[in-house]
Amino acid sequence: MAVDVSRLRRRATPRHGKVRVVRGRKFRPGTLFRWLFILLYLGFLVLPLYWVAITSIKPQEDLLVDPPIWWPSHPTSLHYSTALNAFRGWDGLRNSLIIAFSTTALALLIGTPAAYSMARFRTGGKHLAFWFLSQRIMPPVAIIIPVFLLYARYTEEWFGFSLVDTKVGLILLYTVFALPFTVWMMFAYFRQMPAELEEAALVDGCSRLQALWRIAAPLAAPGLVSAGAFAFILSWTEFLFAQVLSRTNAVTLPVALAGIITGFQGNQYGEASALTMVSLIPALLLGILIQRHLVRGLTLGAVQG
Amino acid sequence: MDRHIRWLLVSPAVLIIVALTIFPLAFSVWVSFVQFDFSVSEKHPWVGLDNFKQTWQDPVWVHSLVVTAVLATLSVAVELALGFLLALAMLRPFRGRRGLMVLFVIPLFISPVIAGGFFDLFLRRPFGPMNWLLTHLLGHPVTIDFTIDGRWPFFSLILADAWQWTPFVFVILLAGLSAIPDELYEAAEIDGARPRQSFFFVTLPLLTPIILIAVTFRFIDATKLFDIIYSLTRGGPGTETYTSSYYLYQQGFEFFHLGQGTAGAWMFTIMLTFVSFWLIRRLLKPVEE
Repeated sequence: MAVDVSRLRRRATPRHGKVRVVRGRKFRPGTLFRWLFILLYLGFLVLPLYWVAITSIKPQEDLLVDPPIWWPSHPTSLHYSTALNAFRGWDGLRNSLIIAFSTTALALLIGTPAAYSMARFRTGGKHLAFWFLSQRIMPPVAIIIPVFLLYARYTEEWFGFSLVDTKVGLILLYTVFALPFTVWMMFAYFRQMPAELEEAALVDGCSRLQALWRIAAPLAAPGLVSAGAFAFILSWTEFLFAQVLSRTNAVTLPVALAGIITGFQGNQYGEASALTMVSLIPALLLGILIQRHLVRGLTLGAVQG
Repeated sequence: MDRHIRWLLVSPAVLIIVALTIFPLAFSVWVSFVQFDFSVSEKHPWVGLDNFKQTWQDPVWVHSLVVTAVLATLSVAVELALGFLLALAMLRPFRGRRGLMVLFVIPLFISPVIAGGFFDLFLRRPFGPMNWLLTHLLGHPVTIDFTIDGRWPFFSLILADAWQWTPFVFVILLAGLSAIPDELYEAAEIDGARPRQSFFFVTLPLLTPIILIAVTFRFIDATKLFDIIYSLTRGGPGTETYTSSYYLYQQGFEFFHLGQGTAGAWMFTIMLTFVSFWLIRRLLKPVEE
């Protein structure tokens, strides 16, 4: 299944891309058409983003007017303070950050050893690897009904605590959904990493665990960063599980936002837009950070960008 | 020594997945055969296949399956077309390309429920700018209610989905395109191939495996569409744009028909598994060879 395009590229394309320019001229549609398409797509991409940004700073009386106002004459930051203070914005932000960071840490802590074992000892062979992959096919809605029942009723009966509306409950569930990504990305990473250094450490008297912790993991740091970023984005953007499993203590940013959009207080467009802008910031920072590993992550290592 | 450690290393990952997906799924087999209704009682009498029958007899459920298939197919088709064109347009280096790349992938990092909210705001009549834009572009007044009128709700959903996921196809195809060795184009040129010919006989065949990977991944995800429905059309008008995931969510968590919801979830999961494995087998076969 793996298509290692990077190997082809390494052989074929010089880094500075002179050849690429020559080749580009060979078959690409006319320059005019090309730029037109880029511009049109840019418009499609930016217009909704712009509209949310501008709505978040419009005073209330500019919101519901026809024709729409493209630039408010008196911008305001009022919606930001209302959204954060009165609409559970701060809570959502704090919970989302706690949950996303914990999920990232847990998924890496659990997923990396598994990936290492699969890469170095071929543990479970092809079957285990595909079992991890097959977790991605499962529709979340099929998992959430029984998980909700278990969290709401049976953990109480069996262990004496309910996991509904707790951050721990969400972190555990998100970790499970991040694991296919973490395991597959790290699996691909460890496989292409030479084993000689660890073997040398073993000869020198390190245990296997020390070799993993002291030698292999530090060498795999770039892989860990991108796998971690994927786990973070996954839990930062998740909605269904959080919507079902949170009431007050574990409300995440998307849930708080959906609450404003569909709330009973009438449509709070300004507040919703302001909270949207807040939720974009960490996602954008991470997006820029993992730009280079994007392709590998999106396809769980099937295409090496 | 290593023999024990290798299993020790994979066990936490396996255990947590078993605890939170395999075990709940097994538990939900039982739920789908009993009457499990929070509002009724603490007891759960065995009802056999009733939950499956009732769900299957619900026209909304059958409709939702059709909507799911149609929306997934159309969205992925639109995303493939746009993503491919964009990848071709962005292939050659130019000034500002790096910045544009960052901009283009932004939607991938946004929560889908929020992206749906974007379009709700953008398309809403009469305050959203979409009608205003169309009026000025077309030169005659346009007053469409994009989440209610005719087939426009489907258009709106596909638009929002394409906005969010075209970058997914785009980055994968761009990686594939830039990996095609230049020697092949040079050879084709020496053999007298015209630009169009080298596109159809060099680019397309070499890119096919990558296209199939992108489409497979994207389609599997698109069949689970829920978030954008939730924030953009809320299944409306009526139950017109219910996808299966949205239907099951409603059954389970708004009506608390957990038995029926679970039965439906099982049917949906089995169908999805078949489709997914068929896709992976069929589409990825040429890649393996």
